[in-house]
Amino acid sequence: MTVSYSGVTKSYRGRLVLDGISDVVNEGDLTALLGPSGSGKSTLLKIIAGLTPLDSGRVSLAGKDVTNEPARNRRIGFCFQDYAPFRHLSLRDNVAYGLKVQHVPRAKRRAQVDELLALVRLEAYADQFPHQLSGGQRQRMALARALAIKPDVLLLDEPFAALDAQVRAELRSWIRSLQKEVGITTILVTHDQAEAMEISDRIVILNEGRIEQAGRPSFVYDHPATDFVASFLGPITTLGGIAYRPHELELVAPDEGVETYEVRDVVRLGFEVRVVLEDADATTWVQLSHDQAKQLNPRAGQRYGVRVRAKVPTVKDAPAADHEGAK
Amino acid sequence: MGYVSLLVLIPMAALLNEAFKGGLGTFWSAATSTEAWDALKLTLACSLFAAVFNAVAGTATAYVLVRDRFAGRGVLNTIIDLPFALPTVVAGVTFYTLYGPHSPFHVNITGTWVGITVAIMFVTLPFSVRAVQPVLETLTSDAEDAAATLGASPLHVFRTVTLPAILPALLTGTGLAFARALGEYGSVVFISNNLPYHSQVSSSLIYSLVSSDQNTSASAVALVLLVLALTVLVVSNVVARQLAARRG
Amino acid sequence: MRRSSVVLRSVVILYVGALLALPLGFIFQQAFVKGWSQFWSALRDPAMDQAIWLTAKVVVLAVPLNVLFGVGVSLWIVRHPSKLSRALDVVIDVPLALSPIIVGLMLELAYAQTGWFGSTFAYLGLKIMFTYWAIVLASIFVSLPLVSRQVIPLLRELGEHQEQTAATLGAKPGRIFFTITLRSIAWAAAYGVTLTLARVIGEYGAVLIVSGNIALLTQTLTLNIGANFDSFNSYQGFVGSLLLGLISVLVLGVIGIARHRLERKRYDSFV
Repeated sequence: MTVSYSGVTKSYRGRLVLDGISDVVNEGDLTALLGPSGSGKSTLLKIIAGLTPLDSGRVSLAGKDVTNEPARNRRIGFCFQDYAPFRHLSLRDNVAYGLKVQHVPRAKRRAQVDELLALVRLEAYADQFPHQLSGGQRQRMALARALAIKPDVLLLDEPFAALDAQVRAELRSWIRSLQKEVGITTILVTHDQAEAMEISDRIVILNEGRIEQAGRPSFVYDHPATDFVASFLGPITTLGGIAYRPHELELVAPDEGVETYEVRDVVRLGFEVRVVLEDADATTWVQLSHDQAKQLNPRAGQRYGVRVRAKVPTVKDAPAADHEGAK
Repeated sequence: MGYVSLLVLIPMAALLNEAFKGGLGTFWSAATSTEAWDALKLTLACSLFAAVFNAVAGTATAYVLVRDRFAGRGVLNTIIDLPFALPTVVAGVTFYTLYGPHSPFHVNITGTWVGITVAIMFVTLPFSVRAVQPVLETLTSDAEDAAATLGASPLHVFRTVTLPAILPALLTGTGLAFARALGEYGSVVFISNNLPYHSQVSSSLIYSLVSSDQNTSASAVALVLLVLALTVLVVSNVVARQLAARRG
Repeated sequence: MRRSSVVLRSVVILYVGALLALPLGFIFQQAFVKGWSQFWSALRDPAMDQAIWLTAKVVVLAVPLNVLFGVGVSLWIVRHPSKLSRALDVVIDVPLALSPIIVGLMLELAYAQTGWFGSTFAYLGLKIMFTYWAIVLASIFVSLPLVSRQVIPLLRELGEHQEQTAATLGAKPGRIFFTITLRSIAWAAAYGVTLTLARVIGEYGAVLIVSGNIALLTQTLTLNIGANFDSFNSYQGFVGSLLLGLISVLVLGVIGIARHRLERKRYDSFV
């Protein structure tokens, strides 16, 4: 089901949180709402869900205007950042809650719950209680619970924020494949750009209540519309006052007719190596792959030339829209 | 919510009204009569002593309950609440029988400040224990262990690490205990003997004034006690909050 | 460190035992010192009989009323914060620190027929003071905050996400309230109810004043015990004390369980 919202404005305690924003989420897409804290993305998600009222604007689900409908009528699934498990209910009863509300008869209900638990691989924990489960397990439970009512749209509010790095990475790709398999339109709120880049079909970047840019991840990364988007989406390095993506600069031998800098620091981040260089009045850094670093073996005190690899600096003039992402 | 105002605010206003019925002069003479003054001094002294003693005893008890593991810990934990569960009059008559003229231990502390204080100690122990316990529980022993590894003696550790952490809660709990002790009646009235000017606490003075139909005087004394109790509460809460804020 | 803790432990146990456990045990001993048959006939004494019934009738009205109020006001204070609700939060806690004698005095001054509202009541033929209703009123007053003091911190900690999730799952507000909200605060409420019950049954000073302490008419069990001791009928008094002592032990048990359940809920959040 398509999700669309237009002119959504919301103020809270005198502060403008959302400033008349509009967008359309296509059916089956996983869209990431990306932005720093306070950008309004969680508020927007709750407005789409019907959990928070908006000041003005409209929200439509599958073409139907749901602006004045309460959450329970919108056929959405919602996952909070803290998973909000029903602490007094077992895992099975948590997942079954929505089905019970729909008065699904017991046998059918049990079968559906079992199916869902198998889908999220929690069958073995069906009779345990939330406090006995790990964070990742609670997250999967929250997902199963939301999917139980077969919603038209799935809304996830920073679902991975409270998990440690490895669990987060696993769960991330698992949710992505699940989403593709089920085919449900999903909106995911996150402040982690790597996450948004990795699993979304489309990124919407919010800042201070406004959409800075929206489009496919690769497009937005290569053609950021504003400085904010550029720096938010990925690391930026500067050369001669111009911003570049790290892979656009390269180190060359000092004699090839380019400005030379002195290496101040070499930071090894595992799969990539960052070489920080400076001259009299500027600092810059260049990213090398593991093999390049091994070959070149840069060390503090050495001098190198820094040169732009690509022909045109991609940050400077970005096309206004991404036409390949629209349907 | 009209429920609440009906219940709490109106009677308080009525008390105020009655206390000043005869004018400021009458109020003052009733509130500061020798009887009232003696009772107040006794009440204050016993309550203060009991509250402070139990602040210490309560902290020790909470410490044992949280940091120590032993058989019967559960029982100890449960019995701490006895003063909340047992009617004050039952405690009162029991103390009178245990430590009064027919005492099986052949002690007789009726009519003494000791007797009154013991009764008040019974009633106020849970306040400090339950106030300090949750703080101790969330305070892991890490800070304490760290101090110990730096060579600090257990007492020093307690004084410099544990005490500052529990002080706000302890203050609030002790404040509440003290305020409660000031007005305690049922557990105190039997062992106190009720001799005016000697062993009468303020609450029993108020009661005898009420039963002899001297409502105005009773209200005067009651108002003083009330203001005192509320002041203690407010001050202990404010100080506790200041301390907590300073610790950051 | 370990050895000193053994010493500390013993001192604490000794203190608590002497202060708290000894009196409790003593009550049991004193009540049965004359044997079983005497005990039973003492229980059937008409004054005690009436006192038991009166206390029960007070409990049946005062406790549920206070629970309803406690849960309701807690939800209001936490979920709809406003200046008024914050003021209410403070006002409700006052009864905890008030002397029961003062409470009794205040209530009599306000509601006796000679009091503030007295003229209105007398006009309507309403007599509140020195009746069953006065006892109920006093009981509610002294136990007013006991439920909300337990429920409010729990509600604050739980937040609204569970209820909002239930809404997205299709549940109507009524259903959400009964299946999620109430169930979440169940143990905190139970703890508060138990404290309320203990307080109502055990109230002495306030009831002493507002009831008039008329034997066989407006005497609760606590008043009965007090009256017996005043007239040197100590055995009878101890029999009554035993009854209340037993109830106290039961109450202690429930409190212990409730607290255990509550603590488990509080620390299970993000393990």
